[in-house]
Amino acid sequence: MAASSTAAAGRPAPPLAASLRRAGRAVAVPAGSVVFAFLMGAVIVAVTGGNPFAAYQALICGGFGLLCSGGENAGLQVSNTIVFLTPLIMAGVAVALPFRAGLFNIGAEGQLIVGAIACTTVGIHFAAAPAPVLLPAVLLAGMAAGAAWAGIVGVLKALTGAHEVVTTIMLNYIAQWLLRFLIIGGPLQLHNGFSVSSPIGAGAHLSTLLPHDDKLIVFGLPASVYRVHVGLLIALLAAGTYAFLLWRSSFGYEVRAVGQSQKAARYAGMSVRRTIILTMLISGAFAGLAGAVQIAAVDHNLTDKYFSDTTGFDAIAVALLGLGTATGIVFAAILFGALHGGGAVMQSDAGISGNLVYVLQALILFSIAANFLRTLKLRLPAVGRAAGTPAAEAPAGALAGESATALADDEGLA
Amino acid sequence: MVHSGLRVVTALAAAGALLSACGGTGSPGASASKTIKVGLVTDIGGLNDKSFNHLAYVGLQKAKSDFGVQGDVTESHSGDDYVPNLTNYASKKYDLVIGVGFLMQQAVGTVSGQFPSVHFAIIDGAGTDANGTDLKHSNVESLFFKEQDAGALVGVISGVLEKDGATPKKSHKIGAVGGVSIPPVNHYIAGYKWAAKMEDPSVKVFVGYSNNFTDPAKCAGVASSQISQGADVLFQVAGGCGLGVLQSAGQAHVYSIGVDADQKDADASVIASALKRVDVATYDAIKGVKDGTFQGGALTFSLQNDGVGYQADNLQLPSDVMTAVQDVSAKIKSGALTPPADIPDPTVP
Repeated sequence: MAASSTAAAGRPAPPLAASLRRAGRAVAVPAGSVVFAFLMGAVIVAVTGGNPFAAYQALICGGFGLLCSGGENAGLQVSNTIVFLTPLIMAGVAVALPFRAGLFNIGAEGQLIVGAIACTTVGIHFAAAPAPVLLPAVLLAGMAAGAAWAGIVGVLKALTGAHEVVTTIMLNYIAQWLLRFLIIGGPLQLHNGFSVSSPIGAGAHLSTLLPHDDKLIVFGLPASVYRVHVGLLIALLAAGTYAFLLWRSSFGYEVRAVGQSQKAARYAGMSVRRTIILTMLISGAFAGLAGAVQIAAVDHNLTDKYFSDTTGFDAIAVALLGLGTATGIVFAAILFGALHGGGAVMQSDAGISGNLVYVLQALILFSIAANFLRTLKLRLPAVGRAAGTPAAEAPAGALAGESATALADDEGLA
Repeated sequence: MVHSGLRVVTALAAAGALLSACGGTGSPGASASKTIKVGLVTDIGGLNDKSFNHLAYVGLQKAKSDFGVQGDVTESHSGDDYVPNLTNYASKKYDLVIGVGFLMQQAVGTVSGQFPSVHFAIIDGAGTDANGTDLKHSNVESLFFKEQDAGALVGVISGVLEKDGATPKKSHKIGAVGGVSIPPVNHYIAGYKWAAKMEDPSVKVFVGYSNNFTDPAKCAGVASSQISQGADVLFQVAGGCGLGVLQSAGQAHVYSIGVDADQKDADASVIASALKRVDVATYDAIKGVKDGTFQGGALTFSLQNDGVGYQADNLQLPSDVMTAVQDVSAKIKSGALTPPADIPDPTVP
């Protein structure tokens, strides 16, 4: 409707320009948040006596392998970034899908951990099984465990109305302590004195894209240092599956309907309870897959790093920054993966603490939540108009940006 | 700008050191013609852990000022960072890459295999595979400590104080609170128990574990239980968790003993600290690379090479305690006494 009123106003906009404008409008909030965060970060670096240009140059080097000044290998930096962003895509989807149904899944971390535990358990107990059997088995085990973990939340929400924020947070703790028990003195412990599990069988290893070979030299380094793995393709497939489910399936339609108004969905004859439970099951499967892929492709055993892992929490930021869309999640994951990879280079090359990365992530989240851009538009209507924004705007709310995209996408489909 | 400025300063300092070295003695300076580059990767404890990451950094700083080496640091924020951080320095052809802590064993094992021409050193561990088996790469130096030597010295302090009836409760009971039952922790406790019983055969030693290295509340619980059983000197061997032991001892007005670094500022109850000189080990590893004497395999730091020790803290120790400590110290150094590495018969108190 908004689009047609613009078109009727005189110059009929060509479809390409219209969709570009729509896309521009959609990314304005996240892009603005990122710019805001980097500007504030630069101020913080400058005020504390550092050089913001050197800091960001090193950050870009560590994230994307560009503008390197300290002799870094570009291929290695890109490879590390991809390894970091792979689980973020899958966990990001696990947060975004419940968002669409009006559920806030804080529990991606717990679901990821039980996915990792299930994958490792199967990988250890059937270590001798051949790869064509074992590899799908460990990944499916991870998905099933994650789905079950999140399913508890869905069932509780649907039957008793227990708030999913509370139950997911509690289940995160249970997952973490379960892991502690299993690898410190428990049945999965490697042997006494280690806080790691035994390694999974070779058949459960998800292969890297380049051969795992210390002798083969690629881009000046042994091929085995490039850890990019098949999990990247799985993650992209997961994002594609999410988009398909959401926009091309009747389930996705129900998820969106429930998310916008449970009452309306109920009057339309949908089962809200069934939708909530199914949403959490599928969401948990995505998070569990993230954990399973991390074990099968990178770690090959459970380690104490999962006690303090934050992938599932970073995924909340990724889902928000990506506005809950599949493409958005992939781009947001690239940004967060690059920040993760860049932090270390920033510390070693520019002497700026890698903790700046966490400040940047927090600032990005903060400014998305605060929605500065919208405030700016409300205060200065001329700014909004200049960009060709029609009067009809997104409804206010914490997820205003997300609803705006959802609206735009709906128009696109109509 | 700032950092290239620093590089220039470092280079000038290096050149200065080189010139003075040549001018002074005409020593073999050929191998020092290029600046040695050292990369230090901390574990997730970070540089401000008041323990071994911090001490490793202290050692690096000393090497920088003494040898004019270039030293860069990367803190690991999660276990995911170990391999990338080590690989980054190795790929930039650093001369020595140091991993701090047992947690980095597998990462050092992996990366040292990929870069056989780069030297690696690891504190408290070796370069291992996923099964924890030492891969014995010739470019990896494992820096181990005889924690039992340091444990024995503070054990002597506890034992003599108990024998003299100079402790708060005169109970002839002492305690040790470990983090997790892993070799470095048990070495400390073994030496402590052995030495205390040697000085005061009637002493009873409680040993407990918190199964945690970071949460002071967990260690405070174990400490309270030992105090309620009568222990009046408590030795903490649990890193950040152990701060809870020191505080519990302070609240109950009994004595406590710190670990790794000098912990007298953590609580007024700290009468001594068992020292593990990670700074010395780091410094020596860098010196080895600089002098060309680096060799793969285990390098053990003990009382003999000042790699471990003790520090008297918030209590003026009586002279007979000092005499006994110096006596045992000399005997351990000469080999006349050897503290056990494993806790002697844990079932018999």
